[in-house]
Amino acid sequence: MPVITLFSGNYCKKEQITKKLVEKTGYKQIGDDAIVADAGKISGMPENKIKKAFEAKPSVFNNFTHEKERAIAYMRLAVAKMLSRDNLLIDGFAGQLIPKEITHVLRVCLIADMKFRTSVAVNDNGLSEKEAISLIHGLDSAGAAWVNTLFKNNDPWDTSLYDIIIPVDKTEMSETVTIINDNLSSEVIKPTSSSQKSALDFLLAANVEVALANEGHTVGVSARDGSVTLIINKKVLMLGRLEEELKSAAGKVPGVKSVETRVGKGFYQADIYRKYDLELPSKVLLVDDEREFVQTLSERLVMRDVGSAVAYDGESALNMINEDEPEVMILDLKMPGIDGFEVLRKVKQTNPEIEVIILTGHGSDADEKECMRLGAFAYLQKPVDINILSDTLKQANEKMRQNLKEMK
Amino acid sequence: MTKKELILQVATVFFSKNGYFETPMSDLSKKTGVAESTIFYHFKSKENLFIAILERVKDDIIKEFEGYMTEKEFDSGLDMVEVAVSFYLYLAGKMENQFLLLHRHYPYKLAEINPVCRAHLESIYDCLVDIFERGVLLGQKDGSIGNMPTRKVALIIFSMVDGISRFKTYNLYDAGALYNQLIESCRRILKNDKSE
Repeated sequence: MPVITLFSGNYCKKEQITKKLVEKTGYKQIGDDAIVADAGKISGMPENKIKKAFEAKPSVFNNFTHEKERAIAYMRLAVAKMLSRDNLLIDGFAGQLIPKEITHVLRVCLIADMKFRTSVAVNDNGLSEKEAISLIHGLDSAGAAWVNTLFKNNDPWDTSLYDIIIPVDKTEMSETVTIINDNLSSEVIKPTSSSQKSALDFLLAANVEVALANEGHTVGVSARDGSVTLIINKKVLMLGRLEEELKSAAGKVPGVKSVETRVGKGFYQADIYRKYDLELPSKVLLVDDEREFVQTLSERLVMRDVGSAVAYDGESALNMINEDEPEVMILDLKMPGIDGFEVLRKVKQTNPEIEVIILTGHGSDADEKECMRLGAFAYLQKPVDINILSDTLKQANEKMRQNLKEMK
Repeated sequence: MTKKELILQVATVFFSKNGYFETPMSDLSKKTGVAESTIFYHFKSKENLFIAILERVKDDIIKEFEGYMTEKEFDSGLDMVEVAVSFYLYLAGKMENQFLLLHRHYPYKLAEINPVCRAHLESIYDCLVDIFERGVLLGQKDGSIGNMPTRKVALIIFSMVDGISRFKTYNLYDAGALYNQLIESCRRILKNDKSE
């Protein structure tokens, strides 16, 4: 039988919904406390120390003690062990520890707008409105920190984390329960041999993670049929030595057939955003959902000493603008989700100094007009001559520098 | 001496004593009598010059250590570690400029964006740590060193010894006065309690 995970904003009637859901489905409810207790039993760590992993800020000593990472590793193991049982409703933060590959888990998120949540807090808990708002903001940021710890994503309500997101302010409670219950019988959620296998892989990965955490190592661990992949997400000069040590430690875990190590995003990144040539922009953001095309383009630009970063959809592009402050953008128009027009519009609203070059394979004259009206710097058609693109980048860079001067 | 060799030698001293950013190419040109354009001809950029120096440091350190450690005979693994400790400190004095360069922040900053720099640094530290690690491993085989995580304990011994050499570099304390205690401490960390 499937498993439900339930992640909810505070003051979204979660308690009542969970109760009704348990009555209807007969599932056993497991909260964070139970998982913390289990993790405590397996690890011998005190429960209050494990619980600290849910807090936004780790202890200042965490860099040396790695207590938070150990706590999370043990909680992951506790959850992985639990998954061998059926009919579970895992509610709370710990449900986020289950990887997506286990498809017989129905990931549910309950959320409501601020007005609704404030009124629940005021009515049910007798708080003042001001207290309620500040409390909710505080609790939400804990949720955001947790999601950030696990996925480097600051949005706990991100749609990619769930199968269904139910706005409880716009949905009757009984309907919410019905929606979740109906989804349980959906074909997609049914346990299959491959989803069961994923659950076993998850258990193996969790065991490896714990073994490594006990040796003081924090790495990303995934497993497939006994083959374990370790991702090193930090900068380490003596990489070869670390890889050897990780391989040897992971290889000792029962059930591990082979170990492979890789470096992840946190490792030294080659040459991204390096300033070589003032004429060419050093920070170009490439936005295109055609991965192969955009990667090739990125490599060719790097060969010309242009630092480039890549986003595969509009949403990530907009996020990167705030974080990475590109100088010039090369933008495709047709993308799933937020399309190029929308990205262009938003960028020009929030960061008008960034120059945007449209590079599209299927644009019409009307598209070109619209883009120029929205403030694009240039409109190019695929396939593009790299020399033309390079020249356009130079011009866009010059314009961008002027923009900055004018802003000062 | 070739011009290229002269540039390398002078730049090693300047980069280690004054720092990378604090050394203008014009200073190197003045000191060596080699035109700036010629320096650029040989090394293409200041950064490449630095990389060339680092490569030289790597080759020199590896040669010194390998040469010494292969010639020496050791009574035991523990003895090998002690010899490595004292040779490390001796070398840090003998190759003062090269070690000073390694104790500067710049190489590690450059390593973040320059894979060649990173590879040289990795080789240097691999060589240095390897000597301690080989000693620990040998000691664990011959029973002079206790059963402990080989790699980790080798790294800890290395960081102690390297730390002492920094004491010397920055004149924090009379490092020589710590020598006997350092050897004694290493011995106590590594000693096999079960051997007697």
